[in-house]
Amino acid sequence: MLTLVLHNLLRRPLRHGLTLAGVALAVAVLVCITAFGTGYRQTLRGELDRAGLQMMLVPTGCPYDDAARVLKNNTLENSLPASALDLARRDPAVAVAAPFLMAALPRTDTRRTDLWVGLDETALPLKPWWRVTAGRAWFNGPDEVILGADAAALEMRAPGDKFFSPETRREFRVAGVLERSGTSDDSIFFIPLATTQAMFAQTGRLTAIAIRLKDPALVREAAPRLQEIPGAQVVTMTEMMGTFLNLLGAVRTLLLALGVIALTVGALSVFNTLLAGVVERSGELALLRALGASRTQVFALITGESLLLSGVGGALGLALAVAGGPALENLVRPWVPFAPAQTLLALDDRVLLNGLALALAAGALAGIYPAWRASRLSPALAVKME
Amino acid sequence: MTTSPQENTSVIAAQALTKIYQRGREEVRALDAVSFTVARGEFTAITGPSGAGKSTLLNLLGCMDAPTSGTLRLDDREVHGLDERARTELRRSTVGFVFQHFGLLPTLTVEENVVLPALFARRSSARRAEMLLEKVGLLHRRTHRPHELSGGEMQRVAIARALINEPRLLLADEPTGNLDSATGYSIITLFQQLNAEGLTVLVVTHNAVMTAAARRQLALRDGRLADGK
Ligand SMILES: Nc1ncnc2c1ncn2[C@@H]1O[C@H](COP(=O)(O)OP(=O)(O)OP(=O)(O)O)[C@@H](O)[C@H]1O
Ligand SMILES: [Mg+2]
Repeated sequence: MLTLVLHNLLRRPLRHGLTLAGVALAVAVLVCITAFGTGYRQTLRGELDRAGLQMMLVPTGCPYDDAARVLKNNTLENSLPASALDLARRDPAVAVAAPFLMAALPRTDTRRTDLWVGLDETALPLKPWWRVTAGRAWFNGPDEVILGADAAALEMRAPGDKFFSPETRREFRVAGVLERSGTSDDSIFFIPLATTQAMFAQTGRLTAIAIRLKDPALVREAAPRLQEIPGAQVVTMTEMMGTFLNLLGAVRTLLLALGVIALTVGALSVFNTLLAGVVERSGELALLRALGASRTQVFALITGESLLLSGVGGALGLALAVAGGPALENLVRPWVPFAPAQTLLALDDRVLLNGLALALAAGALAGIYPAWRASRLSPALAVKME
Repeated sequence: MTTSPQENTSVIAAQALTKIYQRGREEVRALDAVSFTVARGEFTAITGPSGAGKSTLLNLLGCMDAPTSGTLRLDDREVHGLDERARTELRRSTVGFVFQHFGLLPTLTVEENVVLPALFARRSSARRAEMLLEKVGLLHRRTHRPHELSGGEMQRVAIARALINEPRLLLADEPTGNLDSATGYSIITLFQQLNAEGLTVLVVTHNAVMTAAARRQLALRDGRLADGK
């Protein structure tokens, strides 16, 4: 029975090959999309967990968006007074309160806009993934800069090199170059907080304060107190996760719709191929009935073909997803709000198995009508078969 | 020669067998109240002009179609009134069918073609397939594909296949229609041999040699039996 199924499929290599390609493509797209959503959630949570942040103090305004911008090293229009930092540090629940000042510096020589981030030592425990490929991981004086991997490549600077910023008329010494992290950190110029404040005429101002509590469970207790700090607004990480996922939701829905369309097209192509095969081989199928095959057996035969088509197509699709997923991810990444650094594709066993199961289900569904048609063929037709 | 009582029972008993096809609004009376019996071990030829209803009759006898009216007993079991599933069951176990165009599956080997009906009947068949291929003289061709065989060889394979489930009745619709006379003759000889071994054979044929080889002739014309002896 299996050889019969197999032989029938091998008989029309082009048609079945095209169908396989269609199914494979559909499954690949679908799997990537599912993997993408899951991966986004996972890496986002992972990134937030690793930072060990529970909340962020930002200037009053549009808090969620601000917090998200800060997390992605984007600048804000308004700022916090330095007094907010002292108040935050005095709170009994706060373990670390790390101030940041971010500034965008449009370059006159090129069209680039450089991002400068000022931070102090308190930020170090919040960036555990910071590693330098060369030089030191911290500043030795006020005029030292640590470059992100891309920034270093762009400026062609190595540790120890001098580095002049014409727009601000300041000279720095490169203290270290960071390992490529795939995050927005890669393109940033990190300098001491006080230097940033002086350089951009923001003395005493901060863009945000990242806060780690002594115990994550203290969030509910500490948030209202910190909210009292004048000019500041608290955004918890849980709130921020929600915002990220909401922002992603729209993109995901769109992608999911694409995936469903792809799978539908794949299923239709299986349907079309099988139906054409059944019509074309109606004499042969009637012959099988004449030779004693029951309707159920003929139905099973065609269903077997549909499962084989969709199963093999699905497996190819999984391979395609694993091989081509990263390319697809790069294509999609620009549209993802605040994309986390690591790969967004979580092509784990569950996602892959789901993809295959979905392909088989779609194939079985697509095969029902052709199989039913085949099972209804009268054995009497066999006599007329050439 | 002693005759057991079983040998007297009929393999086919048709009474007023009628088949009406609906072609648009028109009714085609392909078979019109045909009555006859075939005893166990008989070799019968059905003859008649094109459109006489020969294939229609064979389809009814082979449980491939249900009669419009009339009764039919095969191997002492009532066929008329059986549902599709039961007819399949009966076809599988009782009837072997040989077609004018051989009806071999091109993608399967000779041996796979032969065991196919046993596969559907869920019987084990390897030994019997070997024996039957030996009998039709094609054991050495068991792994070949149909397109590598001559017409006569293909029909021999088809005959071996028809016999795999040990049927009581062998039905053939113009089995020599696509063969030259010499090859056709060897098929006729094979049918005679099978009949001599006790198989009941019913053949629709235009072949005079086949008709002569059969010990009984039934002539159909316009869906009726001309002389049902
Ligand atoms: N499925 C069908 N639907 C409608 N009419 C049919 C069908 N099958 C056969 N007929 C008609 O029934 C009549 C008998 O057909 P049948 O095939 O039994 O003839 P036959 O004796 O086998 O002829 P031939 O020697 O050409 O094979 C013909 O008029 C034919 O057109
Ligand atoms: Mg005919």
